[in-house]
Formats: sequence, structure tokens, C-alpha cells
Amino acid sequence: MADGSGGTHQELEESPSVQRWLQSPGLSSAPEAEHAALVDLLGGLCEFAGKGPDALVTECLRTTKSGDRAISAKGRRWAEDTIEAFVATKGFTGHQAVVTANALRGFLIHNGIFMQGPASIG
Amino acid sequence: MEFNQVVGTRRSIRFFKPWRPVEHSKIQVMLEAANRASRSMNADYTRAIVVHRDDLSGETRAALRNPTTTADLDLAPTYILWYIDLEYINGAQERLNELVELNVLPPSHGWSKAYVDDLVWPQVLKPIADIPEVLMFMGAVETGIAICNALNAAVDQGLGTCLHAFTAADKVKELLHVPDSWIPVWLQLVGYPAEEPEAGGQRPRRPLSKLFFEGDCTKPWQEDPEVTEHLKREGMIQAPAPFPYRAQEVRNLSRMFGLPE
Repeated sequence: MADGSGGTHQELEESPSVQRWLQSPGLSSAPEAEHAALVDLLGGLCEFAGKGPDALVTECLRTTKSGDRAISAKGRRWAEDTIEAFVATKGFTGHQAVVTANALRGFLIHNGIFMQGPASIG
Repeated sequence: MEFNQVVGTRRSIRFFKPWRPVEHSKIQVMLEAANRASRSMNADYTRAIVVHRDDLSGETRAALRNPTTTADLDLAPTYILWYIDLEYINGAQERLNELVELNVLPPSHGWSKAYVDDLVWPQVLKPIADIPEVLMFMGAVETGIAICNALNAAVDQGLGTCLHAFTAADKVKELLHVPDSWIPVWLQLVGYPAEEPEAGGQRPRRPLSKLFFEGDCTKPWQEDPEVTEHLKREGMIQAPAPFPYRAQEVRNLSRMFGLPE
């Protein structure tokens, strides 16, 4: 995983960024099966991107001249494009595509990357 | 809705019913409220363009999207793009004289046409046009007041609304034929709330004594508990966030619209 692969399910689940996501208020009380499905989905994205979960988050950040952490517009665009491309490889369309991409955005959001995807409005 | 209730019920609504359009008449009420707002010099500081999500071209919708308002733009059926028109100073002399004639600016308070023509216009107002900071400051303050009226008019009519940062202004300017003198201020989203109008309860606010003073800045405003209780009964002060079911409400709405949780 350190070299950028997705890693095993357990490795993924134990990584700090994934823990932060799964322990967020909206997901912490979700059933185990839902957690497992989310981790598998994220694992697929990691493989597709060639990066581990923590690296996905880091890719969306930059350091300012004053040494502060900031969101990288370029990195966030890369993440958006990568998520959309990954979801497209799954063959999803319509509501399912929106939900899947937004579930993956949720991982980045709970790790401090402000972003919004489209809503599914039929 | 009574005034106190309107002020107390206003929230930034982020979940709209995307399938329910806003009546043209309700938008007109909002615009009229903005047009009736207090404004110095009786000047026309504020401009707005009303657009409807489903009428927009793909290019315009894409231009308005940004990483922070994508879902909001999908959910709200109507957008109002608010601008300052930096040419507001033009015509101020005529408008002030009109107010003198109408006895709005009366001699009892020192006003006369001679004062407007010989002093206020040439020495005070006309030079403002050459001081960008002042021009922008006045425009922002007065446009903010107008937008506030529009926000409250939306709430009064049972609508939900929220102000958002205005991005891609250059592209929007080109697509919507916006004049050069207009400066973007806020993007206001309007629709019927999909969340409860209380949106989880009233937002935390610091007490009046932390913000306001009487006499001088060493003397915090003292609240009269009877007035506070009156405002609770009237609905200006409402049950604070979070309502016990707010997390579930957000979760269910997120699932309905396929949004991240």
C-alpha cells in the first residue's frame, strides 16, 4: 500500500484516512456490511489511481508559502476526474453513478477536502 | 408571516425540492422587496439576473458550477445573481433634487436644490466615482441591504434560500451579457426546502452583550429578559440547533439525492 497500491481490505480499513471516514458521524453507526462495501469501493479507486487512501488525500493538498496546509485546486480536480473515470469503468450510469461517485467523495470530504458532487435529481 | 417570525425563521437552506419550481410571482415579490430597501442618494446600486436552472444552457450551468456549490445548484430550481452597478453614482444629482422637491430631504434638515447643485454633487458625490474603494464600499453595503430584503421576502413566502460565493464570474459575464460596470456580489439560490424550514434549529449566536454596546464600548448592551421572552413567543428567537433528529434528517436527504454522507 505504501507504494501506491490499494492494499488488502484490512490494510485499507486500518489506514488513518479510512478510519476517519468510517468513524464520521454519518457512518459510524452504519452496519459492518456497509463499511465493508465502502472500503471495497475505495480499494477499487485506489487500485485505479495507483495510490493508497492516504496518498489520495495528500494529492488534494498543498503547502502554502507560509507553511500552511491548503486544498490544491489542481489536486482536487485530479481527484474529481479520477473518481468520475473510475465510476465510468464500473459501467454505472444515472443515479447509481452519482451515488457511487459521491460515496467516494465522502472519503475525501471527511479527510478535510471540501468538494461537492452533483445531486441525483432524476 | 409576521416580521419577527420571518427574521427568526430565515436559515441557509441547502436541500431544496428540485422538482418544484418557484412561482414567478414569488420572485417578483423578492425583487420588489430588494427595490424597496434603504439606499443612500436614492441610487440604484443593485442589479440582479434571475435564471431558472432548467432553462440554462449546459455551458452556463457548467460555468456556474464549482467544487463547492455543485449539489446546491442541482437542487435549487431558481438562482438570482446579484451585482453592484458601479455606475450608481450617475444621476445622483437629479435624484437628490427629486427628493428635495418631494420634501423627503427638507429645508428643516438643511437641504435645498442649491446645496445639492453647488456643494453635495460637485464636491462630495461626483468625486466618489474616482475613488474605487469608496465606490465599492458603498455599493457593497447598499447591495447587501437590498439582498437582505430579498432573503426575508423569500422566507415570508415559504421559500428556502441561501447565498453562495459567486465564482467563474468572467465566464458568467460573457454568457449572460453582463455589463462591464456590474460587480458580482452573491449567488442566491431559491426553492422550496426539502429539509424542514427550521433546518435543524436556529444557529448559535453570541449574546447581544458581546456584540452591542450602549453609551460607549465599555458598556455592553443589557438585555431585558421580558423582551427576550416576547421575541421567543413571536418566533424571532427559536429552538436552537441541533434538533434531536437533525442528523437523521440530513442522512435521509443525502440518501434521497445520492449525496455524500
